[in-house]
Amino acid sequence: MDRQAQLRWFAREVLPHEPDLRKWLGGRVRGLDSCDVDEVVQEAYARLWTGDPDAIRNARAYLFVTARHIVGEHLRRSRIVAIDLVADLDSLNIIDEEMSVHRRLSGQEELARLYEILQTLPPKCRQAFELKKFQDFSQRRIAEHMGIAESTVEKHLAKALRLVSDAMKEAPAGAQDGRQRERRFWKWG
Amino acid sequence: MEDSVSAGSGNGADIDSQATAWAVRSAERPLDSAEQRQLDEWLEADSRHLGAYVRAQAIWLDVDRIAALDGGTQRDVPAPASERPWRRYAMAASVALAAFGGAVAYDHLAGRISTERGEVRRIALDDGSILTLNGNSAVQVRYEDDIRRIVLRRGEASFEVAHNKQRPFVVSAEGLDVRAVGTEFVVGIEDGGVEVTVEEGVVAVGGKASGSARPRYIRRNEQFVAAATGPRKAVLDAADVERRIAWRNGVLVFDGQQLGAAAAEVNRYSDLRVVIEDPTLARAEFMGVFKLGDAQAFAGAAAQAFNGEVVRRGDELVLVRQQNSPSH
Repeated sequence: MDRQAQLRWFAREVLPHEPDLRKWLGGRVRGLDSCDVDEVVQEAYARLWTGDPDAIRNARAYLFVTARHIVGEHLRRSRIVAIDLVADLDSLNIIDEEMSVHRRLSGQEELARLYEILQTLPPKCRQAFELKKFQDFSQRRIAEHMGIAESTVEKHLAKALRLVSDAMKEAPAGAQDGRQRERRFWKWG
Repeated sequence: MEDSVSAGSGNGADIDSQATAWAVRSAERPLDSAEQRQLDEWLEADSRHLGAYVRAQAIWLDVDRIAALDGGTQRDVPAPASERPWRRYAMAASVALAAFGGAVAYDHLAGRISTERGEVRRIALDDGSILTLNGNSAVQVRYEDDIRRIVLRRGEASFEVAHNKQRPFVVSAEGLDVRAVGTEFVVGIEDGGVEVTVEEGVVAVGGKASGSARPRYIRRNEQFVAAATGPRKAVLDAADVERRIAWRNGVLVFDGQQLGAAAAEVNRYSDLRVVIEDPTLARAEFMGVFKLGDAQAFAGAAAQAFNGEVVRRGDELVLVRQQNSPSH
């Protein structure tokens, strides 16, 4: 697998599970604040990336298990181990339904969600991002079109990506009650 | 990056800012050696940096996939009404001939044309070239004075290119550029990569995904595949090429393909899905010609050919071998 293909695999098989993982980590481990959750996710992604994607059959379970290991290592390293944290860690041993059940968004839902996120971007940021992603413009062409410097375009794009990727930390509204939905909207993976 | 580097490894949020900045830059162009060194150093400083960078790159790439799902119908373009540069080259399709009914999802502003599952559209472009869009596919037509550019966003399209040496015709798909002057060829995006099949004439294949700095020439009845496992070229016989493009005429032709693969092809055009659970049946070789979208006829013919039967299960047509039940 080359890098592009591996990134596509990552986007398809790993990213959709991130909101659930965050919720799971945040809900199960007391004292793990959002900043720690970020770190656990980053570390877990680094390990998934350097692992062999062909060997990872169920990326969702792999991601959850890896994250649990990381929390465990983190606790072992820290000098003071809170008793309740250890108890919480034990509860992470339970491979529950959340580890295996996941509802994938349909294409239209994904698109609707992206538009919703784009609404929240600052106007210039959003314009640059849309020209890039919906019109396939190069940064130079965006700069000409918007009448700004290319380096400013790059900053707008980086900021837009930052805001979009922040928004993607949370599950979209449609996915939260996924399990109550009709069977035909489901995919198992 | 010059303006966003901060000292130390930072917290998760700082890391995300740097990761997104690097992801945007490295997607735009190859990094120069100083930048590459800076990025490598940053990645080595903390394993979380790699995780954040991978995440940012994957999201950047995934937005392309989501944006490509946009048929151009559900979106209002927010740009100022006074200045829309793409209006100039927006105009591509003068005539749209619908082969299988339904309205053309066509956004004049963006030059985007898309099809639903099961429809095939033939579109005459204003330079005399003809574009045929397979089911569940999307292209963006971007004609300029010196170049006729088509971006294949998803699915498959076939091109009959009007000759014009001054204005090359270039189809871009996932980092692959296929350049033609006057010829007929098909480009498709599959799970494994981009596939280019030439029916007539010659095309030059280049771009990031071609795996080569110099263009490769693909001739009649040859196929080029830019796959994750590396680029490859194959020589097909004329009948194989014809079979591969039969969808353009509204039919599917099978000539000894495995039944499982044939069913997958049929399912591309139909809401009723043909399902074959028996692996030996899925490997059986099959011949036949079917109208696009006619899953029922396909399942019926396959059942007849292999002494099986078709069981309806919701919107699935399950093909099974006949049970040796005593009586019926």
